[in-house]
Amino acid sequence: MKIKIELFGAARDFANDNILELKIDNQTDIKGIRENLLTWLKKEHPNNNNYSNIVKNSAFCNENNEIVHDDYLVSKEQKLCIIPPIGGG
Amino acid sequence: MFHCDVIDVSKNKITLEKAQAFIESHKCGASLFFIGTVRDNNNDKTVTGITYDSHDGMVKKSFEEIFDEANKTLQLQHPVAFVEHAKGYVPLGGISVVIAVACKHRAQVYEFSRYIIEEIKKRTPIWKKEHYNETDSEWLKGNPIQK
Repeated sequence: MKIKIELFGAARDFANDNILELKIDNQTDIKGIRENLLTWLKKEHPNNNNYSNIVKNSAFCNENNEIVHDDYLVSKEQKLCIIPPIGGG
Repeated sequence: MFHCDVIDVSKNKITLEKAQAFIESHKCGASLFFIGTVRDNNNDKTVTGITYDSHDGMVKKSFEEIFDEANKTLQLQHPVAFVEHAKGYVPLGGISVVIAVACKHRAQVYEFSRYIIEEIKKRTPIWKKEHYNETDSEWLKGNPIQK
């Protein structure tokens, strides 16, 4: 299935559209989505370790504006947001 | 009473007049304004402006949680607060955030205002990209939200 990941902060530099579409297996957890995103980055930006570090240090939130943890299972097509370390206003 | 918003500064302005109109109350004997502005230097670089990015839904949720917590923790009397944060490019000297608060007595407004800004800094999903005279713009490193 496909999910969308909306990009914020430093993660906006990953792509021009501010949103990515990833193909994932059914019942993938956030940990798996993070790995999937790291694989995508390695392909799209092979020499940029900074981007990988952003993903490793980011949280994700769902459509209800709730932070979802590594064991949160994504079982339907939906939009998640990547929340990089915050700059704090 | 509480008002919060994220203001796209390419379309609207954050104004003190709006904040003052909101917090005016005959029940309150004290009010205080905190104004955050873009300064000209950070980490020995000359800053010309900051682009603020925001997850608007989470930011508003965070502001509401902070207001509720402040109210409970500080046991405020007749608390009123107005919080607006900029989104988009803010030039040097421009307003990034306004926090206007009012309470029954003066001691509480200092604590109340301080509580709100310190908690925003810790946990509200807002990101800053600084623009410099001499070098490329860069996103400031922040603190990870608990995963």
